[in-house]
Amino acid sequence: MPRARKRSARGRKRPSKRRSNASGVLLHAAPWLRRLAAVVVAVSFALGFWVSAQLLSLDRSVRERFEGVQFRVPSRVYTAPEIVYPGLDWKRMDLRGTLQRLGYREAAQSKDLPPGQYVWNPRRLRVHLRAFEHPTRPEPARNVVMRLSGNRIQEIRRLPGGEPVGFAFLEPEPLGAYYGPAREQRELVELGELPPHVLDAVLAVEDQRFASHSGIDLRRIAGALLVNLRAGSIQQGGSTLTQQLVKNFFLTPERTWSRKLREAAMALIVEARYDKRQILESYLNEIYFGQRGATAIHGIGEASRLYFGKSAASLSVAEAGLLAAIIQSPNGISPFRDPTRAIRRRDLVLDLMLEQGRIDAARHAAARVEPLRLASVSRESNDDRYFLDLLERQLADAYPGEALSEEGLRIYSSLDRRLQRLAAEALRTGIERIEARVPALHGDAASPLQGCLLAIRPRTGELLALVGGRDYRSSQFDRCVQARRQTGSVFKPFVYIAALEPQSGKPFMTLASFLDDSPLELETPSGVWRPSNYDGNFHEAVSVREAMERSYNVATARLALDVGLDRVASVARRLGVESRLPEVPSLALGTAELSPLEVARAYATIANGGLRARVQSVEDVVDAQGRVLERRTLDFERVLDAGTAYLATNLLQGVAARGTAAGVRAGGLSGPVAAKTGTTDEERDLWFVGFTPDLVAVVWLGFDEPRPVGVPSSVGALPVWRHFIEAASGGVIRGAFPRPANVERVAIDPQSGALARSGCPESRDEYFLAGTLPTHVCPAGEVDTRPGVAERFMRWLRGRG
Amino acid sequence: MSKASVSLAQAGDPARRASMQLVVDGLGADASGEPARALSRFRRAVQIDAGNPYAQLALARHWIESGDPALSLAHLDHAELLFESEPAVHEGFEAHLLGLRGLALREIYPPDGGSALLEQARQASPRVWGDAWISAEELR
Repeated sequence: MPRARKRSARGRKRPSKRRSNASGVLLHAAPWLRRLAAVVVAVSFALGFWVSAQLLSLDRSVRERFEGVQFRVPSRVYTAPEIVYPGLDWKRMDLRGTLQRLGYREAAQSKDLPPGQYVWNPRRLRVHLRAFEHPTRPEPARNVVMRLSGNRIQEIRRLPGGEPVGFAFLEPEPLGAYYGPAREQRELVELGELPPHVLDAVLAVEDQRFASHSGIDLRRIAGALLVNLRAGSIQQGGSTLTQQLVKNFFLTPERTWSRKLREAAMALIVEARYDKRQILESYLNEIYFGQRGATAIHGIGEASRLYFGKSAASLSVAEAGLLAAIIQSPNGISPFRDPTRAIRRRDLVLDLMLEQGRIDAARHAAARVEPLRLASVSRESNDDRYFLDLLERQLADAYPGEALSEEGLRIYSSLDRRLQRLAAEALRTGIERIEARVPALHGDAASPLQGCLLAIRPRTGELLALVGGRDYRSSQFDRCVQARRQTGSVFKPFVYIAALEPQSGKPFMTLASFLDDSPLELETPSGVWRPSNYDGNFHEAVSVREAMERSYNVATARLALDVGLDRVASVARRLGVESRLPEVPSLALGTAELSPLEVARAYATIANGGLRARVQSVEDVVDAQGRVLERRTLDFERVLDAGTAYLATNLLQGVAARGTAAGVRAGGLSGPVAAKTGTTDEERDLWFVGFTPDLVAVVWLGFDEPRPVGVPSSVGALPVWRHFIEAASGGVIRGAFPRPANVERVAIDPQSGALARSGCPESRDEYFLAGTLPTHVCPAGEVDTRPGVAERFMRWLRGRG
Repeated sequence: MSKASVSLAQAGDPARRASMQLVVDGLGADASGEPARALSRFRRAVQIDAGNPYAQLALARHWIESGDPALSLAHLDHAELLFESEPAVHEGFEAHLLGLRGLALREIYPPDGGSALLEQARQASPRVWGDAWISAEELR
């Protein structure tokens, strides 16, 4: 005891009377009391330490969330923009459907039409086009009127001035998004861009004393308690907006005291650390607004798009009231599900806004009578997912998975929504038609007949449509890009190009040449190879055109052997084939396994006059802050002389006019078309490749585990292509395949391939590279190199001039 | 817009007319220092009329100015081929094809690459090619 007193005296320089008394009491207390006191002190210390540690931990969580990446925003993919112009067939381009998918709303009258609304009369479309926000190529909002005549847009005029407009853009259509595991979709907003009534509506109903409390509103809690006690159940929550935010950010929805305590503590921390504007902005971006299919809609920006098809910046008072109204129970009060209930609740919010002096009586009255005008909900099409998956694979190097699912990138793609829809429809109906024709195909539901269709714009290499299978939900394997299948006769043009392309100044053949279609036997390491023709016959000498148009195997195989398999493979690679090409005799007949995308690229090179374009599916990528991350330019390489490409195109035009692909015209399709069919052994793979000056489209049909389809390509794949192109073009293909200056057109004798002069019993026009004209004439004799009568007459005229 | 471009923009079918408007608009954007906007306009011009040679010509000029002469040559190949099937062609196009090809080659093989072509362009159209360059405004 003296020792203790001594230490105590030494330890305290200026002991207070009170503390001295207290310690005195303790010193003189019973030992059990002293032990109790020590325990209390120790427990208090431990508790204090634990509480401090908890608070520090909560504080760290709060800071990490608020100062790090606050929101995970899925990256969105957009289609190429639609362009409308005088003369366009608005019905074919599905203008009304496009406006609806973009969230444009049909209004009753055109006076003071706000952006995002339109009025459609039989002869007039008045539309206020929204602005397109893009860092380098923005488009302003435009109020225009389109005069309609039948299916055509007669003229477009800008309002209010009425000056004519040559074209108008519709903003790109959202195609889909790359979600994380939570499948949350949100569009971030900044507080400054929102009209005050949006904030007022939310605060009026969710937290009217938000500006004055410190995270917890005791009055609100007491009020909620009273209401709940009276009702005998939980009718009202006492949570402030800050508490709701904290709950959504950090906590689970369980109703326990410990969770409530943590929520309160974190709300206080958030309020202590951050200002009210930051908290409100976070809340508005985080709050849950319901479901769109499997996707959870978060934040007022995304909710505005979903419910009203517009940005949150342009919400009306009534619309803001409705969004604020559904926060309490987004799915229960959903205006899509129960509009009456939603309006009732909206009016309640408007009343609160009036009561709290947030809006005046006039605005209140106007908002209460505003009809509910919801955006039409466009579902994400499963057919688009193949394209989205391809994009994801292509973007993977530059943007890893998290970047795509969390960083809110905007990816502007090349996809043409209309063509994509038509491609999906053509493929689906085509497959169903074959199944109806060959009932045996119905047998295996687990492995049904599959197919794919893709379309490329040859002049640019842009991928316009891609449907990689009959149903994405049942199989995500993309047969256009990931499958490698034998190509059959669609490979043959590469053989003919190898023979038509000049080597050391001279080609192996011209279009007037003849090929040997007599029986062929070749010793190969796998046995004797005896190619045969589809008709089971041999045709001795056949013209180049006939061999291609009738797709004769033997003549083509002989030609490939004569030209050289290495040259054939080289042509295919130059045109865009990347898969392995075994240089075996059967290569000429399409035994190499290629993807439909490779085939499309190679044919696009032919259609593009020998310029190989890089296939492009993305135009640019913009980050969440609106900076352009990358812009992809068109890229070309000349890999084939334009003249040879023209000869190949012309040859394939013959196939579409008279040969195995002549069925493309069965529906009355007019205009330039070049095409080739391809059917592999036992009709396991059906191919059809066709191109117009504007479009290359490839169709493949078959089973994932190869087995006979039961019909040839001309019956199976061709109608799919025809259906697609007829719908895409309206039955009339515009433009022409331009003939390069180094290609000459002359009359020849089809029997001999000689130049036809007067007196020759038959003649038809044929195309030749300059310097490769036949050297013999019909009737037999030497080539007359003098100009013809017409040419001499023209020269004489020019001389007189 | 110059008289020539107005008449070209009004010629042809609806898709060509709209495409030409986009080309003219894009050249205006190039002239006012908005290359991204110009490029977008030219791409849209090709989108609605893939056979428009003037769009290819404008793209070729754009890429020379943007420092990618190889890409410019590809567009000139396109333009040249497409002009072959044009029923009516603007009188200056041949000079512009020659001049632009000359410019692209000069960029790729400086300092004398393409000089013969530039000289031919100058002789064919001294007003535009006298200074061995064609501005977006001049092409308009």
